[in-house]
Amino acid sequence: MSKNRDVIQVKSLEKTYALGEIKVKALRGVSLSIAYGDFLVVTGRNGSGKSTLLHQLGLLDHPDAGEIFFAGQEVTLMPERRRTELRLRNIGYIFQEFALIPELTALENVMLPAMMIGARGSARKRAQELLARVDLENNLDHLPSQLSGGEQQKVAIARALINDPMIIFADEPTANLDSIAATDVISVFQSLNREADHTIVMVTHEPEETACGNRVITIADGLIR
Amino acid sequence: MKNEFKIPFFLLGRFMRGSNKWTLSLVIFLLAIAYINLIFVNSLFQGVISASNQQVINTSTGNIVITPVEGQEFISNAEATVSRAEQADEVNAAAAETEVPASLRYQVIDANFPVIAIDPEQESRVTNISQKMIQGSYLKAGDTDQIIIGRQVTGAQGAQNLSTFEGIQVGDKISLVVSGIPHEFTLKGIFYSKFLEADNRTFVTRQALDGLLPDLHDKASNIIVRIAKTGTEQTVIGQLRDRGITGTFNTWEAMAGQLTTVVDSFITINALLTTVGFLIAAVTIFIIIYVDISHRRQEIGILRAIGIKGYLIRTTYVFQSLVYTVLGVAVGAAVFFAVLVPYFWVHPFVLPLGDVTLAILVDDLIGRGFGVLLLGIASGLIPSIIVTRAKILDEIAGR
Repeated sequence: MSKNRDVIQVKSLEKTYALGEIKVKALRGVSLSIAYGDFLVVTGRNGSGKSTLLHQLGLLDHPDAGEIFFAGQEVTLMPERRRTELRLRNIGYIFQEFALIPELTALENVMLPAMMIGARGSARKRAQELLARVDLENNLDHLPSQLSGGEQQKVAIARALINDPMIIFADEPTANLDSIAATDVISVFQSLNREADHTIVMVTHEPEETACGNRVITIADGLIR
Repeated sequence: MKNEFKIPFFLLGRFMRGSNKWTLSLVIFLLAIAYINLIFVNSLFQGVISASNQQVINTSTGNIVITPVEGQEFISNAEATVSRAEQADEVNAAAAETEVPASLRYQVIDANFPVIAIDPEQESRVTNISQKMIQGSYLKAGDTDQIIIGRQVTGAQGAQNLSTFEGIQVGDKISLVVSGIPHEFTLKGIFYSKFLEADNRTFVTRQALDGLLPDLHDKASNIIVRIAKTGTEQTVIGQLRDRGITGTFNTWEAMAGQLTTVVDSFITINALLTTVGFLIAAVTIFIIIYVDISHRRQEIGILRAIGIKGYLIRTTYVFQSLVYTVLGVAVGAAVFFAVLVPYFWVHPFVLPLGDVTLAILVDDLIGRGFGVLLLGIASGLIPSIIVTRAKILDEIAGR
């Protein structure tokens, strides 16, 4: 995929959810651009639509209207097979609940996406490097259940980085962590952005975390304010 | 592309390693029970069918029964015909039987059980009546005034005929009434083959028949032929015809009489139970694997979110189902062969048509095993297709 100035361009994005009989307009026409090297912090109250926006950008959901361009390529109507390929190679996703596979060790969780592309040996080597980068070189063979919340989130970060993605999405990555672990995870993001020039989009409603990015947008009632 | 094919094996290995051992054991146990249910009922019915077929062959008809050509009452030159039949390659033994036109009388009771004249030694090579004596002894050449009778004739407990010689003992006198004239015989023995139609008969020697009805000397109502391999009757019939033996050739199946109806009924019931068994197995396997995969919805959502292709996820769960069912079939087969078959060999079902053990039909066991494996594949594939088509976010959220 050729590099464009913007990793992502969004035009008039709309998304409505049905909550029983009630329809909730989560996004009401959001437009934005995310450039390479950005660390965009998306903030807003609960239910404002910030996670919904992240899900559309991360190709985990389909918008009702609007367009998303990923490195210049329109992706909203792309077949699922190609969207899966994009998620594998170009997107790293970090969930609030860590979303690790419980039967896999830390090392296996990280190397799994790389095994889709390259040989197992090289996937293992790269996973070891990434886990060392987040200070988990001594926890390679630990199952998620044997790791603390902060450690699990670091494994998720290493997994998101394994295929050297164009962009990393983090959906309230510190929401389930204590303050020390949260600070630790945020510092990993900052380091990734500043030292390795990774493009990061992070959703948070922690006011003190908005300062870690170079751009902040606030979503309210499905619109950027 | 080549690398991604390893993903299902990688995930399967980790899932099996990380699975709860008790849950895994329970799943395998349930699948084993589903397989045993499929093979046990079939083996039992096949055992019943096999036992009844074997009883007919062993106690009454042999493999082939040669009866007189149409319009004739007896086969002439019975001994020569027996000798000629025994010269055929596939024939183990042959024996002539002559039905005596006589009725039986014991004390004041008259009864019409078949009286059959035999050469005891020759007969013992085609039927196993000689080994089924429960009182007294079998006939021997030269017994001109001795008779043996089946247990049904004695009216013993469980016997089904109304007019019987209840209370008769070995050594008691029985009269054979031929053309209204009684001829006294001594009861030499009582046999019990556990096959009602066989235990309904009585036997005297051919020497005795010669004394009663000299005109029937060397004449036979039928000639019983035992062959080397059951199932090749038609081939042997061709060989017998080639040797110039004339008569009407019947296989044991055609002569099985009312038992044929019983066996046909068993075959029908077995087919029905097999169908029901497969449905039960299908539902059981589907539920077990569906529940297992449903519990992994969140995991499947995560795998999809990080870019693992849907077909690889489906393949993983199909492999997992396959491993479960292979283990289930293996455990089921082990229990069947190590426990059930030996148990019923030692403690057979005693039915009126004989002792029934579990029949082992390898083709059936393999076929049903493959059936279970196919059910396992379908049970893994269908829910995994459903789950991999759902919304990723719904799966991750467990909705």
